[in-house]
Amino acid sequence: MPASMLSQTQRYAAGALLALALRQAQIQQTRPLGSDDPDADSRDRCSSASGTSSGSESDDPELWTHESRCLLRPVFRFLDIDHKAWPALEETAASSEAKHHIGAYLRIIVEEDSESSSEKHELELALTKAVDAMSMSLEAASSSNTSQEKHNSHDQENHDKADLDTPYESSDRTSKSCETLERRNLKVPFNMEDLHNELDNPCSEASIIGDSPFYRQRRVVLLYEILSACVADTPQEDIKTSKLRKGYDARHRVAVRLLATWLNVEWIKVEAMEIMVACSAMAAAKEEKQSQESESTKSKWTKWKRGGMIGAAALTGGALMAISGGLAAPAIAAGFSALAPTLGTLVPVIGASGFAAIASAAGSVAGSVAVAASFGAAGAGLTGSKMARRTGGVEEFEFKHIGENHNQGRLAVGIFISGFVFEEEDFLRPWEGQQDNLERYALQWESKNLISLSTAIQDWLTSRLAMGLMKQGAMMTVLSSLIAALAWPATLIAATDFIDSKWSIAIDRSDKAGKLLAEVLLKGLQGNRPVTLIGFSLGARVIYKCLQTLAISGDNEGLIERVVILGAPISVKDEQWDIARKIVSGRFINVYSTNDWILGVAFRASLFSQGLAGIQPIDTPGIENIDATDYIDGHSSYLWSVQRILEQLELDTYYPVFIHRPVDPDEQKIKTQGD
Amino acid sequence: MDSASSSQPEFDYLFKLLLIGDSGVGKSSLLLRFTSDSFEDLSPTIGVDFKVKIVNIGGKRLKLAIWDTAGQERFRTLTSSYYRGAQGIIMVYDVTRRDTFTDLSDVWAKEIDLYSTNQDCIKMLVGNKVDKESERAVTKKEGINFAREYGCLFLECSAKTRVNVEQCFEELVLKILETPSLCAEGSSSVKKTNIFKQKPPQADASTSSCC
Repeated sequence: MPASMLSQTQRYAAGALLALALRQAQIQQTRPLGSDDPDADSRDRCSSASGTSSGSESDDPELWTHESRCLLRPVFRFLDIDHKAWPALEETAASSEAKHHIGAYLRIIVEEDSESSSEKHELELALTKAVDAMSMSLEAASSSNTSQEKHNSHDQENHDKADLDTPYESSDRTSKSCETLERRNLKVPFNMEDLHNELDNPCSEASIIGDSPFYRQRRVVLLYEILSACVADTPQEDIKTSKLRKGYDARHRVAVRLLATWLNVEWIKVEAMEIMVACSAMAAAKEEKQSQESESTKSKWTKWKRGGMIGAAALTGGALMAISGGLAAPAIAAGFSALAPTLGTLVPVIGASGFAAIASAAGSVAGSVAVAASFGAAGAGLTGSKMARRTGGVEEFEFKHIGENHNQGRLAVGIFISGFVFEEEDFLRPWEGQQDNLERYALQWESKNLISLSTAIQDWLTSRLAMGLMKQGAMMTVLSSLIAALAWPATLIAATDFIDSKWSIAIDRSDKAGKLLAEVLLKGLQGNRPVTLIGFSLGARVIYKCLQTLAISGDNEGLIERVVILGAPISVKDEQWDIARKIVSGRFINVYSTNDWILGVAFRASLFSQGLAGIQPIDTPGIENIDATDYIDGHSSYLWSVQRILEQLELDTYYPVFIHRPVDPDEQKIKTQGD
Repeated sequence: MDSASSSQPEFDYLFKLLLIGDSGVGKSSLLLRFTSDSFEDLSPTIGVDFKVKIVNIGGKRLKLAIWDTAGQERFRTLTSSYYRGAQGIIMVYDVTRRDTFTDLSDVWAKEIDLYSTNQDCIKMLVGNKVDKESERAVTKKEGINFAREYGCLFLECSAKTRVNVEQCFEELVLKILETPSLCAEGSSSVKKTNIFKQKPPQADASTSSCC
């Protein structure tokens, strides 16, 4: 098989590693490393020693590795792994001893070398160099981001504007928060050590065997092939394709992220590979289209249908360009022109033909076409969806571009949602200039209602009564008593009455907007790419409602890769967080601030006694709780500190950097009062 | 996969068994004969294979999870991780190929010492292909001596003619049942570790977990 740069054994191991990564990623959905309780761990270890749970555990359809999920078998097929080996690989990944297999499979990737030739070595080298070049250009692109400065000035401006918002001077907090950061970061290496032990040292093994450049190339090649396999829609031989989602599944991306961690490959390299895979898939699609042009439309049709890649787009026409009505065309064109410097040399080497060759070796030239079809409509898909009129309940719902990397073959989408805004720009500004490689969109929704609510709160703050309360330092005590669900000062209740009506409208709209967002995602307007959702205040509520809707409306795992909610006005106890957690393949982060008393005041009536996600941690396994009290002076400070917080979260690392904090109401109270 | 595995009936014990030995000695054929009572020409196993069989032995209902490893050397690194937690290991050789017998002491016995995590794990030596009596290159006596030296059970069998196949697994399992420590491990009352059934981790313990 000339198309693949890996030997048969290596491809087998690659498939196994993906299976293991998928399974581990699923386990860590509810049991993140570092927050494992020793009991569970020892229990786990004890049973893995005894092997009590190794009996055909792969039969559980809940497992991501299960056949019915269609996550693994298409990849196996693409990697050309023998059918007979599939069930055992699934079983291996599902067994409780899975962790112990990781090291062995990693080792075999670099060990196995019988079939290597100089030609292959050169190919590996070429691919690695291409990846390096691409990741360098990615880095260059993100560091030359001018909007960063813009954001900083905006930051300052906001600080001035919102000084009223805070009972303290914010300046003296800066040094304090720096300290906290350092302290938190110190914990990281320890956490990683823990992880090494946990995984039977695959990472250290990878670095022991992987220091030479040759092994580094091998690892890059491995990831590249796995990535290609995940992205390509290999048509199924059987007809059980209904569950197979087109495009790039979020669970695959999470697994690849974990794999990259095991293999000690930087994430930016993987992002570079994603772009290369996307572009070469598009190029392959183009070639495909040209070669097919001579054939009659009808035969093309039947071929496509048989291929099992009946994307919504594909049905409307024959050829790719025509189908998406000019949406896919710019995506491909722009992708190529923008990446011409790096890709120009690259595509001939491993790109178009290489991809097509791999795909055809797996029995599907059409597979690669499907990739392009599912990503093609992407960019215009989101921004084109002004769904306002159709759904009535929501007056405004619109996606806006942030950054300049749209239609350049990015294989991951970020949607950012503000929820506390003073002017329309606040929907965009908090998210500008962030350093990641997502294709980024901001959701502008219900600006009228949100602005009026935010302004009402701000007005109330500046009112004499509130100022008086603040001067007496009463607010902090108020908040701590809120958490303790004690009685409210009568003056405060009266004062906030007029906010309530606006607040309840906004809450209602955010729920509706969440449903709408779910609808958009279900339709695949994001181009069937994994989505990262980040939002603060009511925007976080939109996200939560979206997750809830996705959870209720069926098997929608694999759409959402990561979620960050900041200062979320969502009840802790009443909602079913575990269900929402399941929808998110990767990390789910709740950022809260114990002194966010605006949130407390505004939300007091209905939900306070049950706890509020924006003020306290959520006690659901798998949700990372981050105390950002040191960054957040008041609710509106999310507007400008969200970026700093997100940077600290290091979303691109697989493992949580912030350590899960125990839920301890007493400690919280002390902390708040101590402040 | 095996039809028995999907129904998940009740069982008293679950044991993990492992098949090892040189390439081509008939590990997969042995397993196929045992689990589905058939015999066919098989291509070399890739990596590992896995089968489940529910059996009634010694008045107990047993679920056997049997891992069949590839004998080819290129998979050796990979198969090493499957020794962990096995209650029974079956070493298979081909009675018509002497090298597969000598490799037992040169390779496989060492692998077991190296990778098996179970002190009491029961080992069994199986000489396959006794149907080819005329081509025999390893005598039964030699097999018995080896088994005595390494402290394992011994049988000669043929996956092709069914001779002694059932007995191999039965003897091994009976021996496991006689060993209290292995029985305790395999007892079905030991809770199944599965994230869906498992109690969520206690939040208060998260602060510890230091080295």
